[in-house]
Amino acid sequence: MKIKCPICHEITNWEGNPFRPFCSERCKLIDLGEWLTEGYSISEPVLEGEDKEGSEEIISEK
Amino acid sequence: MKYDATKIKVLEGLSAVRKRPAMYIGSTGKEGLHQLVYEVVDNSIDEALAGYCTKIVVTIYADESISIEDNGRGIPIDFHETVNLPAVEVVMTRLHAGGKFDHKAYKISGGLHGVGVSVVNALSEFLEAEIYKDGMVYFQRYEKGVTKTELKAGGTTQKTGTKITFKPDGDIFEDTHFSFDVISHRLRELAFLNKGLEIEIMDERSGRRNKFLYQGGIVSFVEFLNKNKNTIHPDPIYLEGERNGVKIQIALQYNDTYNEKLFSFVNTISTKEGGTHLVGFKSALTRCINNYVTKSGLFKNISEKIDGEDVREGLTSVISVMMANPQFEGQTKTKLGNSEIKGIVESLVNEKLGSFLEENPEIAKGILSKVMDAARAREAARRAKELVRKKGGLTEQSLPGKLADCQERDPSRSELFIVEGDSAGGSAKQGRDRKYQAILPLRGKILNVEKTRFDKILASSEIRTIITALGTGIGRDDYDIGKLRYHKVIIMTDADIDGSHIRTLLLTFFYRQMPELVEKGYLYIAQPPLYRIMKGGKEFYMRDEHELNSFLLKRAAEGKVVSTGDGGKNLSKDKLNILIKRLMSYFQCIERLRKRGYEKGLIEALLKAGFLDKEAVRDYEVMVRMQNELQSQGFETLGIERDEVHNMYTLTARQSPNGGLNRINWDLIASGDFQKLGVLIEELKDLNKSPLFIIDDKGSKEVNSKEELLEYLLKEGKKGLTIQRYKGLGEMNPGQLWHTTMDPRWRTLLRIKIEDALEADGTFTVLMGEKVEPRREFIQNKALEVRELYI
Repeated sequence: MKIKCPICHEITNWEGNPFRPFCSERCKLIDLGEWLTEGYSISEPVLEGEDKEGSEEIISEK
Repeated sequence: MKYDATKIKVLEGLSAVRKRPAMYIGSTGKEGLHQLVYEVVDNSIDEALAGYCTKIVVTIYADESISIEDNGRGIPIDFHETVNLPAVEVVMTRLHAGGKFDHKAYKISGGLHGVGVSVVNALSEFLEAEIYKDGMVYFQRYEKGVTKTELKAGGTTQKTGTKITFKPDGDIFEDTHFSFDVISHRLRELAFLNKGLEIEIMDERSGRRNKFLYQGGIVSFVEFLNKNKNTIHPDPIYLEGERNGVKIQIALQYNDTYNEKLFSFVNTISTKEGGTHLVGFKSALTRCINNYVTKSGLFKNISEKIDGEDVREGLTSVISVMMANPQFEGQTKTKLGNSEIKGIVESLVNEKLGSFLEENPEIAKGILSKVMDAARAREAARRAKELVRKKGGLTEQSLPGKLADCQERDPSRSELFIVEGDSAGGSAKQGRDRKYQAILPLRGKILNVEKTRFDKILASSEIRTIITALGTGIGRDDYDIGKLRYHKVIIMTDADIDGSHIRTLLLTFFYRQMPELVEKGYLYIAQPPLYRIMKGGKEFYMRDEHELNSFLLKRAAEGKVVSTGDGGKNLSKDKLNILIKRLMSYFQCIERLRKRGYEKGLIEALLKAGFLDKEAVRDYEVMVRMQNELQSQGFETLGIERDEVHNMYTLTARQSPNGGLNRINWDLIASGDFQKLGVLIEELKDLNKSPLFIIDDKGSKEVNSKEELLEYLLKEGKKGLTIQRYKGLGEMNPGQLWHTTMDPRWRTLLRIKIEDALEADGTFTVLMGEKVEPRREFIQNKALEVRELYI
């Protein structure tokens, strides 16, 4: 399987690649560094009414 | 300057060399044997450095003798004042005699420690010197260092130069076999270091020959070393200068490997152990790069400090220093000791490299990003090590306090639930089977970086906790999937956006840093219910809306008959259930297409008119018929466009003048949903009649369409039930959580495959992107689907 290295975006192989899904030990280490320094975040804009998402609702009927 | 006998100083007689050869040439092994060749070659190099020699030819003969010939001035043959012998004979038979010991002859000179050619002579079975000088050929022969013939003039010649032929003495050397490759390698080095000097080697034993001539000097050397490597900048950087009589040349080029290749030379002698010139170069390089980073303002957000190793990663460099009186130290006497050289090299590199980087910002940027990567990776490796080593490491003794571990020690029978939130974690701890189920509560950290957005992260302490609990360690040297403590790692998060984000972060982390977890099938996602249905004393749990609706419809269908009217069909029990399933499926397909921007009315109009053939979009006439059909049903059409590349047409239409545009093309007609609708509409044709009657023991109800039928049945299904939609795991009590989500007898676990993890990584990449706009769009359009897919 061909994959894109998450760090440098080079196309690389999954099979036989000890650093999969990265192209190299270097990129894998850089990624690890980001996790360990809280460099990765999922950002989301504050949208109006978003907090209603998933709120509890009781649907009941006789 | 005339090179004659007055320039040769006699230091002492040739003795003791044969008794202690290793003292003079290092060893009597292979290295010592080849050192003999280099000693003679170095004399020719001296001539080249002095500007008199342009070509050197080395020939290895079948009898393991060897000759070195140059086109220099020829060794002086006139008589030496003090010893009354021809100068050449003094050079050959007196230890420490040679031009280089008198600074008047050469300012700069090669040759190891200056032992010179007399040592070669002393250690050879025979040595013959042939000198071409003043139109004559002179010849003299020695054996084991002793003169055998007087210096005699033979024939005449036009050329000048010296040819030394010798055969190492088998009594001295363990092995007298010359290696073509070893000699050739050194000669190539010399050719690089002596720009424009031609060096040839021929081997009569094998017929092999090489010819080296590099006009580029050490720049060519660096290019040669970087051959077949991806270089960061196209041409080597060349720095050159002379200070206090010391000539310095440096060539350097970065490639994308992680190796450092530094070759240093003093007076063309390889200084394998480095020394003051190399120290000066290294410290100046580190300083230059750091200065440039600060000055340029690039990489402002990077906290890592750049050190020497970062700066030299992927660096190929050759440093050549020419100087008088080099002092050699170290184990093999290949380390330059002159302390003043450090400062000289340092100031030259600071100045020249500094201005090079200023003048070539593109090259500088390429080098810097390579260096920054090195610094980041080094920092990451250090942090990973720290993490592992801290407090006795990630051993079982240091298991995090938050982890409620299980009693089982066999990983294949152990499960770890990573649970979102402390309250759900608490319920899970109470509800679990502590024999084999471990619980690790986890909370995503939320940062409100800007007013307009939230950033969700996994705190580094949480990551540390996860790694400790799993037992695998992390990083280059410490990671071992074989030490995994649980063969089921189950992520249990809420079914809301927060939960989906934490799940995405976790999946991405595992996929990237512990891919074996996914490959071996150890990673799972728990499937907590979204709905709880209560009826009397009974409880039912539904995983999602689809399951809920199926349940409600099946319940509604009990004891009911759907009739298509007089003379029509009466559907009940199994037949009715199948029909309802198809009906649900039908509306799901419509809903998915609606999310892609297609209006229900338009889809149904196309289905009704039977435009199901994918190939229709290639046929203009069919597209025109489609257009007419839609117009006749009251749709507004905006024309047919042709896609030249794919030879296809797109018909654009809308339901009302202000409605959204529907692009009817291959993407729609060939989609799985549309094609499935084509099948379903045929299977559901009984329900196209209007009105439909729903009959049960209480009477009969009339509905006018499929939609109304479904709506009515759903309403009927809900009768007498209380339905609760869970906001989060925390709303379930320990018993409910165990029963619905953790108990192996009832639970459903979703096993993560590589493709799922890859998709999570893709989602993650989009969600963490820098640009807010596309992300907002993505969240609105895709995040909901992503959530539904449990990824």
